[in-house]
Amino acid sequence: MTSPDNVALPDGSVPGRRFRTGTAKLIELWRARELLGQLVRKELKVRYKNSTLGFFWSMLTPALMTVVFSVIFTQVVIIDVEDFAAFFIAGYLLWQFFQNSCQGAIHSIVGNGDLVKKVYFPREVLPLSHVLSQLIHLLLALAVISPYLIYQRGFGVLLHLPATLLAVGLLTVFTAGVAMWFAATNVVFRDLQELFVVIFLVWFYATPVLYPLALVRDQLGAGSWLVTALQINPMTWFVEVFRTPLYGAVVAVPGGVESGLPAWPPLVSLGIVTVWAVAVLVIGYALFLRGSRTFAKEI
Amino acid sequence: MVGRRLERFAGVTVDPGRPAIVVDQLTETFRLHHERPSGIKERLTRLRRSSYTDFDALCEVSFTIEHGESVAVIGHNGSGKSTLLKLLARILPPDAGRVDINGRVASLLELGAGFHGDLTGRENIYLNGAILGLDKASIDERFDEIVDVAGIRPLLDTAVRTYSSGLYVRLGFAIAVTVDPDILLVDEVLAVGDAEFQQRSLERMRGFREAGKTFVLVSHDLEAVREMCDRVIVLDRGRLAFDGPVSEGVELYRQRVAAAAAPRAPRRDDSRRVRIEDVSLMSADGTPVSEIPPSATMTLRIVLRALSEVDVCSVGVLIARADGTHLYEVHTTWQGVGVGPLASDQDATVDVRFSAHLLAGHYTITVSVTDLTGRETWAVAADAARFDIAPAPGGAGLVDLAATTAVSDGPAVRLGDGTGGSVTGPIPLPRLQRRRAQG
Repeated sequence: MTSPDNVALPDGSVPGRRFRTGTAKLIELWRARELLGQLVRKELKVRYKNSTLGFFWSMLTPALMTVVFSVIFTQVVIIDVEDFAAFFIAGYLLWQFFQNSCQGAIHSIVGNGDLVKKVYFPREVLPLSHVLSQLIHLLLALAVISPYLIYQRGFGVLLHLPATLLAVGLLTVFTAGVAMWFAATNVVFRDLQELFVVIFLVWFYATPVLYPLALVRDQLGAGSWLVTALQINPMTWFVEVFRTPLYGAVVAVPGGVESGLPAWPPLVSLGIVTVWAVAVLVIGYALFLRGSRTFAKEI
Repeated sequence: MVGRRLERFAGVTVDPGRPAIVVDQLTETFRLHHERPSGIKERLTRLRRSSYTDFDALCEVSFTIEHGESVAVIGHNGSGKSTLLKLLARILPPDAGRVDINGRVASLLELGAGFHGDLTGRENIYLNGAILGLDKASIDERFDEIVDVAGIRPLLDTAVRTYSSGLYVRLGFAIAVTVDPDILLVDEVLAVGDAEFQQRSLERMRGFREAGKTFVLVSHDLEAVREMCDRVIVLDRGRLAFDGPVSEGVELYRQRVAAAAAPRAPRRDDSRRVRIEDVSLMSADGTPVSEIPPSATMTLRIVLRALSEVDVCSVGVLIARADGTHLYEVHTTWQGVGVGPLASDQDATVDVRFSAHLLAGHYTITVSVTDLTGRETWAVAADAARFDIAPAPGGAGLVDLAATTAVSDGPAVRLGDGTGGSVTGPIPLPRLQRRRAQG
């Protein structure tokens, strides 16, 4: 645990400063994996410590949301997709992972002020622990919900499991970047935690979780500003990529949209989400590291 | 090879050829916002009016600590001690200058930092250990030891929020001491807990020191500093005031405390009525003195000048030991004497005669002028005079109780007439203090 700026390699060479600092940070993070694991365990334990139903509470929200939205959008306002409940839950689980991770991460530095001011450890483990504990929730939730999806959408759901896991992996990378940005920014801008609810409400409706992207394209035409806006939103692509192997692609046909069966996501979409994931992680991590220098002073 | 290289790169191995800690021209600046704009709205509306002052918590501090040295950092509150420790622990990055640390560092800045109240003692041991950089295997290995040191075995599976605060700290300490670093940074943690706990923590530190590890302690407990460390760094308002042997450093710090502890002269205009022109200490025959034998009679001569017409006032004298301990206070009114009334520019000379029934040490005198009731202070001269009492045979400690000894039964020898033994003088003060700390 030395100051990385002053360490020369054993052969006497001193690598470039930027590279040195970056690599040292990654090594440090690797060395802190034990701590990260303990923090994830803590998150999971603390959440269900005093509740009898435990993990099933975290299934209750998506289940209720699915019931409510299914009633509204199949009985009142009709969104014409096959098996709306399956369609919705396949996208909503992913959204819930993203939102809960960011929500936990935004308080992670400010809320652990005592720790940050008194002990040295790589600060990124705090937001990352929230992302990873939510990841475990997501995987458990997927396991719980998969029988229903298999029942509704056939065994293709199981067959395309690698694609689902790949999508989860890419989303985790993306979420880690966003979560670190939120955590670091909230230290200097405390307003962010107030704005958070609004940001995520707008972001939720601007992401095709409730409705398929194809439907918007079909109704408004591909050139519409709304379609452009949806396509700029990275979460659109994550939801599409995640939903394709779980539920199936929704494509436009004359007179409406039609749902396909679970399938491999198109390479173009995969490419887009990969670029987003890597770029957001790099930028989010870099901003976090820059901000983390003064965490102990700002809190 | 790659693994070793990475380990080395992350600073885990010690290079014995280089010092343990090098601090070079270290400066740490804090920005004190007068009204901190912390939200977007405030930022937008106060963009230009946001005012702040930069405050150097540390200013161009340089020192080097070799492997195996134990160093104490002392100074007033706000002198930058804790900031320095945070920089050494890498909690804060330096704003200017360099901190170079060679070896694995553990810092005990707070015990039980990161405990989660809802988790059990067992779970918190693993969590806190991980925060301090221990891996699961080494915690497993020392688990029983930790539990025994903390004495929490019956409560191991109870949430720590139900623990008493003493137990909480003990558990924090028990985990912290299992960290086995090359360099240990300790900040005042010894001050918490009961006497037994303090004793035990001192023992731990001693063991650590004897194992040849580097040790940096921030403390106000000068006894602990004397015992634990062989070098002292004194910080004063962010600057390095002293770096050297313990006894000198502690003495310097005591003097500074005494100077700072004296009441400050009030700055109100209405208090500018009297000025203390001169304060001098004289022996019985009228010659000025600064070093005197125990129990000698002295006269403190205070010369006042009235700046305007003043009513009858009282002159007070306070005698303190160099570390600020008040020893004696007297006001002329207590003895039925009022000074004045004085016309403008009139002088008054007050003589206070006293016998210093004190033993070897450094003492300071503070003089004040107040109204008759003692409610309003008109003038204060802190540290107006000093005197030292020379070591002399007869006793050790603070007060000369003028003891006489006699052997009323059994054989006795008269010493110190050039006939008998060599031990006649009192034990020197530092040695006595050290003995007290050990006992």
